[in-house]
Amino acid sequence: MGSRYLWPWLLVLLGLAPVGAQQKPVNMLCSPDLAWCEALVPAFKQATGLDLRFVRLSSGEALARLRAEAQRPQFDVWFGGTGDPHMIAFREGLTEFYKPRSWNQLRPELRAAVGETYIPLYMGAIGFVVNHQVLERRGLPEPKRWTDLADDRYRRLLAMPDPNTSGTGYTILATLVQLYGEDRAFQLLSRIHRNVAQYTRSGAAPGQLAGRGDVAIAVQFAHDGVKFALEGYPLKVLFPLEGTGYEIGGLSLVKGAPNREGAIRFIEWALTPEVQALAAKVGSFQIPSHTKTPVPPQAPRPANLIRYDFNTFGTPEVRERLLNRFNKEILPLPR
Amino acid sequence: MPAPRPLGPTGLPWPLLLALLAWGLLPWERGAGASGPASGPWALGGGLAFGLALALALFQGRVPPGPRSLGRVGVGLLQGAGLGLFLVDLLTAEAVGPGQAAVTLLALFSLGHWLAGSTPTRDPLLGGLTWVAVALVLLFIPYPLWVLLRTLDLGRIPALLADGRFLLLENPYTPASEAALALAVGGVGALVGLLAARGRRFLGLGVGLALGLAVGLALFGRGALPTSLLVAGVVAPLATLLGLGFALLEYSQAPPWTRALLRGLALLPLISPPFILAFALILAFGRNGFVTHHLLGLDQNLLYGPLGVILAQVLAFTPVAYMVIRGTVQNLEHSLMEAAATLGARPWRVFRTVTWPLLRPGLANAFLLTVLESLSDFGNPLILGGDRQYLATEVFVAFTGRYDPVEASFYGVVLLLLVFLVFFLQYRWLGRAAFITATGRPSRGGGGPLPPGLGAVLAGVFLLWAVLTLGLYGSVAVGSLVKLWGFDYTFTLRHYQDFLVLGLPVFLNTLKVAFYAAVPTALLGLFLAYVLQRQELPGKRVLEAMTLLSFAMPGTAMGVGYVLAFNPSPWVLTGTTLILVLALVFREVPVGVRAGVAGLAQVDRSLEEASATLGASPLRTLARVVLPLLFPAFLAGLVFAFVRGMTAVSQVVFLVGPGNLLATVLLLGWVEQGQMGRAAVMSTVMVLSLVAATLLLWPLNRRLDVRLGGLP
Repeated sequence: MGSRYLWPWLLVLLGLAPVGAQQKPVNMLCSPDLAWCEALVPAFKQATGLDLRFVRLSSGEALARLRAEAQRPQFDVWFGGTGDPHMIAFREGLTEFYKPRSWNQLRPELRAAVGETYIPLYMGAIGFVVNHQVLERRGLPEPKRWTDLADDRYRRLLAMPDPNTSGTGYTILATLVQLYGEDRAFQLLSRIHRNVAQYTRSGAAPGQLAGRGDVAIAVQFAHDGVKFALEGYPLKVLFPLEGTGYEIGGLSLVKGAPNREGAIRFIEWALTPEVQALAAKVGSFQIPSHTKTPVPPQAPRPANLIRYDFNTFGTPEVRERLLNRFNKEILPLPR
Repeated sequence: MPAPRPLGPTGLPWPLLLALLAWGLLPWERGAGASGPASGPWALGGGLAFGLALALALFQGRVPPGPRSLGRVGVGLLQGAGLGLFLVDLLTAEAVGPGQAAVTLLALFSLGHWLAGSTPTRDPLLGGLTWVAVALVLLFIPYPLWVLLRTLDLGRIPALLADGRFLLLENPYTPASEAALALAVGGVGALVGLLAARGRRFLGLGVGLALGLAVGLALFGRGALPTSLLVAGVVAPLATLLGLGFALLEYSQAPPWTRALLRGLALLPLISPPFILAFALILAFGRNGFVTHHLLGLDQNLLYGPLGVILAQVLAFTPVAYMVIRGTVQNLEHSLMEAAATLGARPWRVFRTVTWPLLRPGLANAFLLTVLESLSDFGNPLILGGDRQYLATEVFVAFTGRYDPVEASFYGVVLLLLVFLVFFLQYRWLGRAAFITATGRPSRGGGGPLPPGLGAVLAGVFLLWAVLTLGLYGSVAVGSLVKLWGFDYTFTLRHYQDFLVLGLPVFLNTLKVAFYAAVPTALLGLFLAYVLQRQELPGKRVLEAMTLLSFAMPGTAMGVGYVLAFNPSPWVLTGTTLILVLALVFREVPVGVRAGVAGLAQVDRSLEEASATLGASPLRTLARVVLPLLFPAFLAGLVFAFVRGMTAVSQVVFLVGPGNLLATVLLLGWVEQGQMGRAAVMSTVMVLSLVAATLLLWPLNRRLDVRLGGLP
């Protein structure tokens, strides 16, 4: 009787015996467009012979994931995504700053803006993504300035990301504050608020609403708007004349990465002009950080950028104060 | 008469086996990873001593004197030693290996086996299984939640409660006073309660006031709490009512095509991937929507907000309600109604005194499930919610948008409290009332003919619903075949080509994971249901509530709890397929439990008693009497678990690892980035394959139809 029960269990246990170790792949958290992440995998394999595996998570999700895994990180490197979460991750000790060999060839203004917290990967500016069909149908002009967004004729035709939930939304809020000063910015926002049909959760959603014609004007990153327009939506990208804010997409080495060497090889590789040029081929039209990478012709080039103060507006205190003010003074206003 | 069962561990091999395995496996599993003060010979010695002490304590007074008792004590000691060693090993190891996990479960099983074996009324095997099941439930439901809740900073709760995103009752920018309005509604509710409750005035007053305030809050407040309450408060009654209507329609003398359509269509929303229905709704009813703009010429944006969410949820959850109620209606003993009518009762009186009490448990279950589904729904509010807040999405948004885990767990706790409240109310309303109609013998089910007017109305409503559902799903299929869904309707197969490269491997992986998860879910669910319904177990209610916890908890919170709990040593589970499977199993096990409970509630206990009287052991009764009667419920649970595993999203977003992606997570990425063509392909493929899977099981299910089927 005993052996009748024993053998199956022994077999099961033998079957569970560990298999031999393989060559370690590089695990990447990937926050930009999925197509970009996918394009990296075969290219990296070809260049280094190493396997690259990734999970695509938006930058907020990626930060949440890094935090949850802080005790035993699963990922080696975090590629792309808006800068604020990269900076927070650095301040919380989730990532470490690694100075790549090509550091001095990266655009100096980007390097200066982020300091030594994370590696700048690309730059993208805020713009107006406009559905010209909807505007024409109503005989409305295109908005040219931030103040035009407060025009009564655009009532309920505007979408922008909620600064509470989207890094893009917060960048817009901080841009207005830097352009007009805090009090005037909030006055302007309270007038714009009446025109907003929806504050969206994610940063790229306004452009999709505009693409489908649910709204006429989306405020968001211009390069996402260009991508949607190229896919066939009736969209056009404009920049406000007063100047606009921008993000600096990041590349970070995860602290305690299980495959640190692989991660460093990846970082060095990912910053080369040839690899950065991959982005435009798969429809991501940010301005690459390496000075030698050609800027894709489709990339939207704003004429007028503000001097965005990442150090001030990236701190949790400032962020919290602005968001609280937005939640108290803007959101409850009737529309 | 069977011989009286000998006391002590029967069936001998278990303890010995365990001890042997313990010794045999220790060095193999510990490997080089074992270090630290608690490991090494000291720990082994300590574990051994602890186990011996435990075994002695347990044996005291249990072994009858006799020539073989010494041998039994020896065996027990060995077993105790094995258990002790494993406890030590578990606590000190760097990582739990598969061997340790298996042997720990064996140890638990063996302990339960042995304890139950010393009580004549209990079956040792059942006892052992119960211990294992309870341990698994404790480990994978309350433990990760507790780890998550530990992050909750109590000092921040007042600020979070006052946050306008959670609850904004008095808006300073509007002329009307929302708080006063809500209070007024509360007062009306109290008045109604006072008048309606004959005799128990205070109770009526209290319940009326509470309900009135909740309604007032939902109607006039802003923020996540009122919005979620409003949506759930509208969706649950509507879906339950529609579900009841459809179930009555199915079992009345409706034309056969209605039945076929009902069964088929009811499955669709259950098997549909998240997000996609919401998108189809936007393209049909949005500002540029096919129906609202192109057919009706409207220019509106009403869909974004509670209205759109309610619409999507009613469409999605009516089938859930229908499936639950269907089981009840199916089991209505028509002869009871006939008897009442023969005795001279008028139709309305028959309904009030016979039909209604029989229907009540099913309705309450349906209501509970739809409230839970609505509260924890993630996909629809995410896409259609507009800029209103919802509790379940706020959990996600707090984590990923505001980087604030404290706030996220706060929203999670609020959701949990709400769910417990609903559960408690349901329990109070139903009490312990039991109406057994399934006696194991065949009878004609269904509620009998409907009044002609009602039948026509129901058929009309159903037809409308069917057209809407079919239209929406059809539009997804169309969307997968055109260049740009909503704009450029040129035919193309490009999205399918993309899918073959990018989507197919992920889809196959998802099939695998969902299948791995489905079998344990159905088995564990049925087993727990049996334990809860038929076995004496201290703390049964707590166990039941715990299984519900994971269902009610927003998936996002559960997912993060899993990462926090099982990433560190000694679990080291994140990034593996196993954790995905576990997350799915323990997310869906409540559904299996509800299915089993509902099935068991209808099986007359006297059948089991008869079996026991004839000398069968509890296990034999379970295997030969209960399980065959429950097989359809098991099958339904299996299919349901598989489907839910395929379509689950919120609980796995944080758990997918590199090289281990799931279809829904990929779908979320595509949807967020506006890759609607690919998203439509993935959804179409998922729907079609799930339809195929359910169709495959359909004939099997029908052949075995012992009148006990019915989901949840």
